[in-house]
Amino acid sequence: MTTTTSPAGAKSNSPIPAPSGRLHRMAAPLAPHATAARVAGGVLTIIGTYLPWATFVLNEGRYPEQATLQFFTVPFGVTGFRLHLLIFGIAAIVLALVRVPGRGRILRGVGWGVVAVSILNGLYITVEGGGLGAITAAGGAVAFGAIVALLGGVLIVLGATAGGIERRPEWRWRLNPWAERGALVVAYLLLLFLVAAVLTAGGTGGAANPYSGAVFLSFLGALGGLLAALSASGLLNWVAALAERHRVFSVVVLLVVALALPLTAAGNEYWMTVAANIGVYAATAIGLNIVVGLAGLLDLGYVAFLGIGAFTAANLSGAAAAKFDVHLPFALVMVISAIVAGLFGAVVGSPTLRVRGDYLAIVTLAFGEIFVRTAQNNIFGLTGGSNAIPGIPQVELFGTRFSDRIVVGGIQLPAGVLYYVLIVLLVALVMLVFSHLKESRLGRAWIAIREDEDAARAMGIRTGPIKIMAFLCGATLAGFAGAFFAHKTGTVSYESFRFLESVTLLAAVILGGMGTVPGAVLGASLLFVLPEKLREFADYRLLLFGLALVFIMRFRPQGLVPDRHRRAELAHDPADEPPPGGTPATRTEVPA
Amino acid sequence: MLSTFLSQIVNGLILGSLIGLIALGYTMVYGIIQLINFAHGEIFMVGAYGGLAMFTYLLPTFVQQQWYLALPLLLIAGAAISTGVAVLMERFAYRPLRGAPRLAPLITALGVSVALQELVRNFYPGATAALPFPKVFVAGTWEIPVPGGTVPLRWTGLLIIVLSLVLAAVLTTFVNNTRMGRAMRAVSQDPDTARLMGVDTDRVIVLTFALGAALAGVGGVMYGTDLGFINIDMGFQNGIFAFTAAVLGGIGNLKGAVVGGIVIGLVKALGGQYLPGGTAYDYVWIFVVLIAVLVFRPQGFFGESERVRA
Repeated sequence: MTTTTSPAGAKSNSPIPAPSGRLHRMAAPLAPHATAARVAGGVLTIIGTYLPWATFVLNEGRYPEQATLQFFTVPFGVTGFRLHLLIFGIAAIVLALVRVPGRGRILRGVGWGVVAVSILNGLYITVEGGGLGAITAAGGAVAFGAIVALLGGVLIVLGATAGGIERRPEWRWRLNPWAERGALVVAYLLLLFLVAAVLTAGGTGGAANPYSGAVFLSFLGALGGLLAALSASGLLNWVAALAERHRVFSVVVLLVVALALPLTAAGNEYWMTVAANIGVYAATAIGLNIVVGLAGLLDLGYVAFLGIGAFTAANLSGAAAAKFDVHLPFALVMVISAIVAGLFGAVVGSPTLRVRGDYLAIVTLAFGEIFVRTAQNNIFGLTGGSNAIPGIPQVELFGTRFSDRIVVGGIQLPAGVLYYVLIVLLVALVMLVFSHLKESRLGRAWIAIREDEDAARAMGIRTGPIKIMAFLCGATLAGFAGAFFAHKTGTVSYESFRFLESVTLLAAVILGGMGTVPGAVLGASLLFVLPEKLREFADYRLLLFGLALVFIMRFRPQGLVPDRHRRAELAHDPADEPPPGGTPATRTEVPA
Repeated sequence: MLSTFLSQIVNGLILGSLIGLIALGYTMVYGIIQLINFAHGEIFMVGAYGGLAMFTYLLPTFVQQQWYLALPLLLIAGAAISTGVAVLMERFAYRPLRGAPRLAPLITALGVSVALQELVRNFYPGATAALPFPKVFVAGTWEIPVPGGTVPLRWTGLLIIVLSLVLAAVLTTFVNNTRMGRAMRAVSQDPDTARLMGVDTDRVIVLTFALGAALAGVGGVMYGTDLGFINIDMGFQNGIFAFTAAVLGGIGNLKGAVVGGIVIGLVKALGGQYLPGGTAYDYVWIFVVLIAVLVFRPQGFFGESERVRA
């Protein structure tokens, strides 16, 4: 029943040949003592976890001001990052002593998690005035918590590397189909709780909660370690293979799980609003992904289509400042907005007949700037200029305003939950459209054009109309999102559609991975959740963002979720990144 | 009537020669590594802030008051800062991407552009708002008499026109007549063959960035001197205009960049005066010109039409 192609023993598992890189060279002297190093790292991590508590509380001293970061008001009561460190430490010791397939790789993930958590907390304590890594000299008491834990993490990483990083084990468990579906449901429920935990980690930032950024980042660090370990254990690939086998089922479950978010800890008005905004940008990013990711046409003025959709909806919504005195039903407004945006998309796309590559990028940038300028000048009285178009009415259905709180089956749901449901359905629809387009004849033509336009033309693809179709489809999706945006926010101003927004959308697509659906959603979520959570860095948001673009292009141009077709071309380390599951036949077996 | 028209021509020439100066940097970099260096506008902005920093923090009062001492020092400071930033940018952002797919460096350039703007905004004291720039050059205007009135020409405006044209001429001479200039032309034609012939292509590329940046830095200081204030957005807009100018003149062509810049300046000044919508729409006209040129004559005024671009 349970078979694995990967040899189970760690010793028999030959490490990847010719280990190179600085890390390997640093770890080499440790090779004879790999297990000892791993255990020592785990122990140090646990000691680091308890050190500040031991220093201050055992000495019956007052706990220092940074207590909010330390979570030690209750002896042994570990929550937050101390809990994560404790778990990582124990896991490291257990893994060092027990043979598990791929354990070197798992340990490396755990180690990096410890490093990330302890660096982040150490830095915060240092910057917030607690002294270097919680060395609080006040009263003579000294605690090296963060530094000890950091040492532990480094030791785990080095020990894991020295002991040899095995190939990622590949699980080929095949269970009863219903059991497999059950496993999928469990996996998705875990995902839901993970998402809710990420959203609520650290609480809402602001003056009342100065450590929310620290707690959130630390949580992300721990999460990164956990995901790295899970991925190293091969379980993530197994779940992915399951999802592939039960595709329709998993899509339905995923949708239900997404709709269940309001029932979790993240179910309050604030997060419903943030999630709705993320949804708008995710839908727009998927539209942009058609143009950039599939057809390979760089569009630097794409947010204009979101704007055109939003202004169209605003003018048809019955708002007092609207140009037309009509109030159409929301569904109709959405369709009209999408069509108008799509038409503009075809217009903007028409230069693609003559212009290619980065010249095309500049043409789209020029269109985007023209849109912003004309909207700013309230052209034909359609955009309200600097007054914007305020007072767009809320969407109503059967007499219920979408901004109201509602009660379903005795459960009080937060305000804005209907908008959340609507945007989830909208994003699901957009994803469906995207994935069908991608697999269609049209989508394959786009990809062919992206790879080599001349060759595509030689193969009989009529490149001109097909490129315009890419702009048209992408703009239509953005128009849909724009109509939603107008009603949700209630005010549409040209300020929301500046060049920087286009760059942000582009960054979302690139960060997530060009040409993939989860990539665009993940990218949009990251780029809009992070600023929400890290308010204390608000001044540096754009700076980090610009640097992030540079670093992504430098180190991971394929994005976080690379496209399968592209993965082969762009993956940097073929030994480290085997092709995704489903092609076991081509895998070389590791000699025992 | 005539005086209004001529005044706008003068305004267009001032703006245009400044844009032409920036466009030289675009056109050289594109000519040599086919990269739209989006961050070049920010190099221009950084130069202006470099000049301002020199004036505010380094120059003693008696030097500040003598324009023939202060102006050259400011120009040198602006050029030096811009060059330094551009060389770092080339080394750490663009060089690792040589040989990457075409879109990668363009996106990197966008990132560098955003990052530079934000660096200045966050770390230059007071840069969150527009900062006053010292008018170190002779103030006042030359009222040129014409039938039916006078045409005002600011002395700083005249400085911009003259200095831009002189610098463009110096650069052209350098590229056409020196050994290094010949190496630049060789790399722009065929980098691989140039390397085989013993040209150090990395050095040539750095030099190209440095030359373009120095001109942009000088431009930034002159812009500040003329307007009396600078802000962090000045780079983006003028950078786009300069790119338009470079394309208009035929990208890769030095003379074309200057001519293109002057055309853009005239379009903005005359369009704001005479076209419907007035100055509120003058930017729109520039972008319309940009689109029209890219669509109908992508090789520009002086570009070679046979060059393959994709």
